[in-house]
Amino acid sequence: MEARLWYVLTGTRGGVNRIRLLRLLDERPRNANQLADELDLHYETVQHHLGVLVDNDVLRSSGDDYGAVYLPTPQAEAHWDLIEEIIEQVD
Amino acid sequence: MSVWIDVARLATVVNVLLLASLGYVWGRNYLAVRSKHTLGLLLFSTFLLAENALTLYYYVVDPDLSFWYSTQMPTVVWRVTMLLHVLQAVGLGFLAWVTWD
Repeated sequence: MEARLWYVLTGTRGGVNRIRLLRLLDERPRNANQLADELDLHYETVQHHLGVLVDNDVLRSSGDDYGAVYLPTPQAEAHWDLIEEIIEQVD
Repeated sequence: MSVWIDVARLATVVNVLLLASLGYVWGRNYLAVRSKHTLGLLLFSTFLLAENALTLYYYVVDPDLSFWYSTQMPTVVWRVTMLLHVLQAVGLGFLAWVTWD
């Protein structure tokens, strides 16, 4: 899980935006629309990043509907120290 | 013989381009997140880029060695060399694909 977190968050082109997304979700659960507004990204971009994080067991969706909010998985929570360490370094 | 040389040169050009793209992504990430992990990726792409750029220089530009490579190196050696460059290009292509995400 740790190696995966490092690569998904800091080894890929979209990693920094995925870190910003996790920082917002760390405050409280949000849906894709709210994340897109706050990060000033396209809805489709946010959907893509959320999909990558779900595929890598970092996030889970509360449901399949349009307003579904995203939450950390138990695996991500177990490594939340590492995620915070990475989050704190990004502006 | 010349077809192996051309394929080897082309694969080396592809390697240089792929490594420049990887270095761009990993360099930007290193600026955002300073860690041994981001530095490791950046150094990996930098050194492999230097290796491929140097190889391309000897194959194409260097007046003595480019002549030697294109006229003196046996075909059987070119075939193996070409295969190594092409395998590296396939590996780097896959790495670039997952990294560009």
